[in-house]
Amino acid sequence: MPIEGLVTGRTIVPAELVVQPGTGLLDLQPGRVTELVGDPGSGLTRLGLRLLAPHSRLAPVVALDTRGWISPEAAWETGVEPDRLVVVRCDRSAMWAKVAAALLEGVRAMYAEVPAGVEDHDLRRLAALARARRVAVVMRPMSGGLPGGIAHLRLRAIGVTWEGADRGHGRLTRRRLVLEASGKGAAGTTMRFEVEDEGTDAVRLVSDVVVDQARRAVG
Amino acid sequence: MWSLTRPDAPSDEPVLVVDDRVTAASEDVLEAGVTLGMPRREAEALAPFALVLRRDPGEEARLFDPVATEVEALVPRVEVVSPGLMLVPVEGAVRFYGSEEAVAGKIGARLDELGITTPHQIGIADGPFAARWAAAEAEPGHPLIVTDTTRFLSGLDLGALRESMGGTEMIDTFRWLGVETLGDLARLPRETLASRFGVPGVTAHRLASGEDRAVDPREIPLELAVEMSFEDPLESLDAVEFAARNLADELLRRLRPLGVAPHTVTITVTAADGQTRERVWRSADPFTERALSDRVWWQLRAWVESRGIPGGIVMLRILPADLSGEGRQLGLFTDESSIVEAERALARAQAILGPDQVLQARAQGGRMPGERVVWSRWGEPETPMERDRVAPWPGATPKPSPALVPSRPHPIDIEWDEGMPSRVRLGSRWEPVLTWSGPWRLSGRWWAGEEDADRYQLVTSVGAFLCVVSGDRAYLAGVYD
Repeated sequence: MPIEGLVTGRTIVPAELVVQPGTGLLDLQPGRVTELVGDPGSGLTRLGLRLLAPHSRLAPVVALDTRGWISPEAAWETGVEPDRLVVVRCDRSAMWAKVAAALLEGVRAMYAEVPAGVEDHDLRRLAALARARRVAVVMRPMSGGLPGGIAHLRLRAIGVTWEGADRGHGRLTRRRLVLEASGKGAAGTTMRFEVEDEGTDAVRLVSDVVVDQARRAVG
Repeated sequence: MWSLTRPDAPSDEPVLVVDDRVTAASEDVLEAGVTLGMPRREAEALAPFALVLRRDPGEEARLFDPVATEVEALVPRVEVVSPGLMLVPVEGAVRFYGSEEAVAGKIGARLDELGITTPHQIGIADGPFAARWAAAEAEPGHPLIVTDTTRFLSGLDLGALRESMGGTEMIDTFRWLGVETLGDLARLPRETLASRFGVPGVTAHRLASGEDRAVDPREIPLELAVEMSFEDPLESLDAVEFAARNLADELLRRLRPLGVAPHTVTITVTAADGQTRERVWRSADPFTERALSDRVWWQLRAWVESRGIPGGIVMLRILPADLSGEGRQLGLFTDESSIVEAERALARAQAILGPDQVLQARAQGGRMPGERVVWSRWGEPETPMERDRVAPWPGATPKPSPALVPSRPHPIDIEWDEGMPSRVRLGSRWEPVLTWSGPWRLSGRWWAGEEDADRYQLVTSVGAFLCVVSGDRAYLAGVYD
């Protein structure tokens, strides 16, 4: 019997939703917190630094580094202005919230690694401060995720694949990162899409944006 | 005016002291064609035999402070422009000592009594700009007293404007138009310069004509002074630096809503034994956050290191003067108000964490990702590069660069199968290596006892890593996160 259609529970939405300059999911919005969730190696540090690039053309931007490992070279490759990137190192979770609050008082955009042990109420205060000061913030929890109600948009790394290396030959040239977006910034839905970059240019969308339809609703 | 060099410079070697440009040089280096103010690279090419030292303004301020103190004992209210250059208001002193020659002679004699071996130059003229260049033109030990300031300035080369104009772009344009001296410039109609170059053009014309910047007649409300008191006297340099930078930041924060910035500040400290010390600093341009906090810090460091504050600091005050509305002119294409706010936030973060935790980086040459970055403390002079950026660096690890680079070699376990990487241990679990690139040879400096090593890019299902293998040990050099 021929199949006329298949209900998958998913729809495809326009790609502009992700990559539209200024309003897309991959553009930081003033006063909003974007959360990046994923293991080290999943490609989120480079993505987080890349999100700072447009803001660095106007004023200094900050990377709040809890391990002392963030490489400015990667940030420069993604388009962050070299003179405008300041790296603030803070490995003490007790001091972290105080330092982050001081920075939010003045900078326009910040990528912040969040160490384990930061209190939920401190994170909520910081999100409120970011809203009040209209600072675009990317938070990357070092373990687990942020408590609910803080992030406007949550980007979770589902998988990363690298091209170029072949059993001793070649070199890493390009990576593809599968991301899942959720939260208010994703219109309350869960979207999945794949982006690609070669390290020296902007991130490109290389897949359809697939939205999970709501299974349950309260009306 | 007094030429300073690095105090630790060897006296028997040719020496070049630089920031971006040459700030001091020994005789043999000057004979090779190097001039003060010459770009660093040009000077290094002319005098490759010279030992190149980085300028240290904090140390210069410490050395210069006794000079300022001695001169202030003769003539009150001296204004330090930068370490090595101070302005002395001589009107009152001339009435007291009888003539300008007598004042200059007294100052020169006092400096000789101090036992300063570096030759000092003294110039007297109408206004700070003319006096500064009179000092520069004076023979060491023979003060130059200018009676006709306009005529004196007219013979100066246009380059004299470089410090006051903050760059050479406009000066280069003037030269291109055939204007070579300040006199040539002063003869041009001011309104023509105003229409072609705007405010900077008028400022240049005013200086060239001997009309120095008028002091803003606005009164300084006393509440604009900022002050900090300390129950436990500040003795350590770190604590003094935090206080200096915070207070400088606080002063400009208060001035900001008024739309002004100071050209002159008076820094006052009270020591634990009740002694008070005071020094005035002046700047041709209105002080920015960074410029002011540097000067306050240099001055406090000079006092603390010369044991001039017995028992530590119990009170610190900065009083602004000569306020100017030019200080907060916002740019059209860059968001300067955001830059100012960000600088304040970074200064606060620096006060909380310490100066070593707020950093900026510059690119330099190197083969490994960690080598290709040179870090400097934010707000302080840049750390000199260790490796030439423009050299070819064959065998450098290719782009894209790892986003995470450990500051120290981080041991990692790799399992090998017939010379090929098969598994890598990440935390407590082993991950199969899906593919890899390398090995790329990294030759060690054998004369320094360094071993050769191989680099690999390892790709696993959870990400890619840059590893260095040397002998039977492996290290994580970067994470492609």
